[in-house]
Amino acid sequence: MSNALAARGLGKGALAALIAGVVGAFCLLFEGLWPWLSSYPNDWVLPASDAVGTAVKSGLDYVKPAARVFSTLMAYPMTAANTVLAVLPWPLLIAATVALGWRLGGGKMAAMAAIGLGLVLASGYWQQGMNTLALVAVSVPLALLAGAMIGIFANEFPRFRAPVQALLDVMQTVPTFAYLTPLLVLFGFGPVVGLIASAIYAAPPMARNVLLGLQRVEAEVKEAGVMSGGTRMQQLFQVEIPAAKVQIMVGVNQCLMAALSMVIIAAVIGGFNDIGWEVLLTMRKAQFGPAMLAGSVIVIFAILIDRMSATLAQERRRLWDGRISLAILLLGLVVSLVFWRSLGDPDSYQLLDPVANGLDSWLTDFTRANAELLTSFKNGVMFYVLLPLRIGLDQAILPFTWGFQWTSGMSLGFYAVAALVALGLALRGQLTLGVVVLIAAGILETGVSQLPWPFVLIGIGTLSWVAGGYRLALLSVVLLSTILVSGLWDRALLSLYLSGAAVFACAVLGGGVGVLSAVSPMAWRLVRPICDMLQTIPLFVFLIPVLMVFQIGEFSAFLAIIAYAIVPMIRYTRQGLIATPDEMIEAATASGATRWQMMRDVRAPYAAPTILLGLNQTILYAFAMLVIAALIGTTGLGQSIYLALGQADVGLGISAGAAMAILALIADRIVQGFAEERKKALGL
Amino acid sequence: MKTTTFACVLSAASLAAGMGHAAELGAVDKPIKLAINEWTGQHISTHIAGEMLKAAGYQVEYVTAGMMNQFQAIADGEIHATMEIWSSNVSDQYAEKITEGTIVELGDLELAAKEGIAYPAHVAELCPGLPAWEALKDCAPLFASAETLPAGRLVDYPADWGTPGADRMTGLALPFKAVPAGSEGALIAELRASTERKSPLLITFWQPHWAMSAYDVKFVDLPVGEEACFTDPAWGPNPDAVNDCDFAPSRIFKAAWSGTAETWPAAFEILSNYTLAVDDQQPMMGAIDVDGGEVTEVVATWMSANEDSWRPIVDAAIK
Repeated sequence: MSNALAARGLGKGALAALIAGVVGAFCLLFEGLWPWLSSYPNDWVLPASDAVGTAVKSGLDYVKPAARVFSTLMAYPMTAANTVLAVLPWPLLIAATVALGWRLGGGKMAAMAAIGLGLVLASGYWQQGMNTLALVAVSVPLALLAGAMIGIFANEFPRFRAPVQALLDVMQTVPTFAYLTPLLVLFGFGPVVGLIASAIYAAPPMARNVLLGLQRVEAEVKEAGVMSGGTRMQQLFQVEIPAAKVQIMVGVNQCLMAALSMVIIAAVIGGFNDIGWEVLLTMRKAQFGPAMLAGSVIVIFAILIDRMSATLAQERRRLWDGRISLAILLLGLVVSLVFWRSLGDPDSYQLLDPVANGLDSWLTDFTRANAELLTSFKNGVMFYVLLPLRIGLDQAILPFTWGFQWTSGMSLGFYAVAALVALGLALRGQLTLGVVVLIAAGILETGVSQLPWPFVLIGIGTLSWVAGGYRLALLSVVLLSTILVSGLWDRALLSLYLSGAAVFACAVLGGGVGVLSAVSPMAWRLVRPICDMLQTIPLFVFLIPVLMVFQIGEFSAFLAIIAYAIVPMIRYTRQGLIATPDEMIEAATASGATRWQMMRDVRAPYAAPTILLGLNQTILYAFAMLVIAALIGTTGLGQSIYLALGQADVGLGISAGAAMAILALIADRIVQGFAEERKKALGL
Repeated sequence: MKTTTFACVLSAASLAAGMGHAAELGAVDKPIKLAINEWTGQHISTHIAGEMLKAAGYQVEYVTAGMMNQFQAIADGEIHATMEIWSSNVSDQYAEKITEGTIVELGDLELAAKEGIAYPAHVAELCPGLPAWEALKDCAPLFASAETLPAGRLVDYPADWGTPGADRMTGLALPFKAVPAGSEGALIAELRASTERKSPLLITFWQPHWAMSAYDVKFVDLPVGEEACFTDPAWGPNPDAVNDCDFAPSRIFKAAWSGTAETWPAAFEILSNYTLAVDDQQPMMGAIDVDGGEVTEVVATWMSANEDSWRPIVDAAIK
């Protein structure tokens, strides 16, 4: 049908926009007559979260005995890792890491290991750091094993690939907080819960990379395996997996990083005196400096683990002289033995405390000195951007905020201007854009949090149709309907508004910084370490300075989300722009393109799929941060999840977590759909 | 509430009369695990209890556990007792476990807690009528923010602790909008920023808390509450609403795993009879959070200086 319409001059996009626009206008016109159009009536809500709670709880009771056995079993490696790390004297552990660093990456990496662990020692968080490492040391093998099995399974049985992909998406998008309570009931209290939570989150990257690696093994290699007459198992383990080694190592690296970032979240439960718990304690006292210090320990671990494991993924890696490694190790052993008695408790070396306190008082001075400026900045963004977006122009424009009252006459005028613009665009042949302008005007006038639900359903449905066809449209509408009937709709819209605003800001700001970084290597040298830090430091740490400066509320949450979600946008934009093939650049240069033309007409279109992928990641990151942002008083799904964790309400936690995952999944599929289209258009 | 008072009087009386009877020590080789929650006051209460148990000849282990998430662990016997549960901030799960019989209550800690609408001292200069609550009627615009205009902003407890601040504002018909804080850290950050900037702030807060003295926090004087205030709209300054009075006093109590009494009878008795006063706890909190002392050292100093107050409880249980 779409083809027939397109032939008559009405594109797929224009049709979708028209449908959404008509539904929106219909809702606006008749909401006075039928109030259920604008807000979904409470009577129509099914008691889903209670039902989910009861069902899950009774289900849990069956699995509980087995889970408890598993818990007991896991406690052994856990205690073992912990004891080893706690008993070994620190000079030996540092020497071992430096020795490994030397073997993998030579002098540079050895120095990095020495400085990094030296800083951990000086921070006074050695013991907690080792506890965290013990947790990672057990959860990562678990995640690797699970991930590898899932990946191989999906490779062997192509029929199951789609459901497996969906499962991996769910594992990555349902916020950890949402399933901590059921895990606690299942596995009992203690570090095992943290271990399993981080394994759940860390397994998908491994599974994806294993699958990707196995799929990319060249046909000739596979055939050689078949010809030599091995069983399927032999082919797999002796031919295909070794051939996919490099891609699998990328998975190992990603898995390590994911586990490390999740260990902190799991600390909320307690039971293990680790870095996450320290961060939580300092966060409770709103001490930015100490929280930053404790958080930095994780950053150091993450950077060391990342850089060292990244060498494993290199195609032709070089090993450095093992004898020097042995010598370093021996030196560590000797130092440990000689100074055995005088080593003392590593937790007493709090050399960095002055730095932490300095940072803290700097923040205090900064807030005091710039109070006026910061408040007016915040009010500006709130009054002119966030509030209208949330509750619409008709309610946001008040004498207190804009200095005058928004009247219905102004509404009409506003719509009239939008209609004129739309008409102008339509006459110039840009019908889709015209209708989109009209829809945007309607959204702005109503406010995202008060959009009529039929419009949201149809609007997202048609958008999905444009991006990915009928199947995606059906999926989106069905999934969104489950949120609607579960009674979490209002909260979901609030989440959508806040993360939507943040993603938009990330796209503009991050895109800008990304372009700048692509153009100037100097800028990238400055931006890169900041990106590294923003991605690995425990998310909680961001909240304190934002709160100190801008107080509790939406604006602080907005900033915190941006701080975390902007990173992929910057990275992917830069990556996409600098990856333009040389021959295209040469061709453009030869035809006399200026630098600006080169950027706009050659690099940008080529980079579009990569940038869209970055946007996709930014969306997922924004949703992930939404839960953390609930700690500074937002009112969307994040708050529900946090509330459920506090009240040990399994049903609410899982329903809200599922709603969050649904929003993230739909956004992900739509953006990926557009990215695919761009790729095809470019012939990639 | 009445039964609580009665229980307090009873336990105090039994102590005074020296009626605690000696009990078996039980499994002295098996360590008793005490929960360490997220706040310093609780660390102090727990460490004192732990030291008392050690003095009685037990082994004690301190296990970090989230306040809200510890109850599953206690019910499973993975943690054996927790020393500071605030009635104002306890999850439904606790009630469930009590009904199940997997957790037993150990009576009051007798830490006289106070919750209320509070402000850092400098705010009294900005709104001169304070601490009388009536002053807030006219000062409200002073506290307004972008999210709450034209009403004033009250920073309330995180949503999962309930909305007592919002209830007061509605009850007293004050033109304030309550904003949930999200976390304790957020409350402290607000207090800190307000003190540094000398900006207005109205907040729902409680004591004992180290921030009370660190940021010189004062409570607003609200009409003293009676039972009727929470049930009868006619009671109090606002004839149309309930909750037009101060907070109902919150109870702080202890709880243990159901098997504790059987495994360590004397320890169960010590923990049941153990109490701690605000005047003892608050200075220790200051010594730790403001002066940077270690919990173990601060508690050890207090223990040796105040042996009279805790030794009798231990002796009554084991001798």
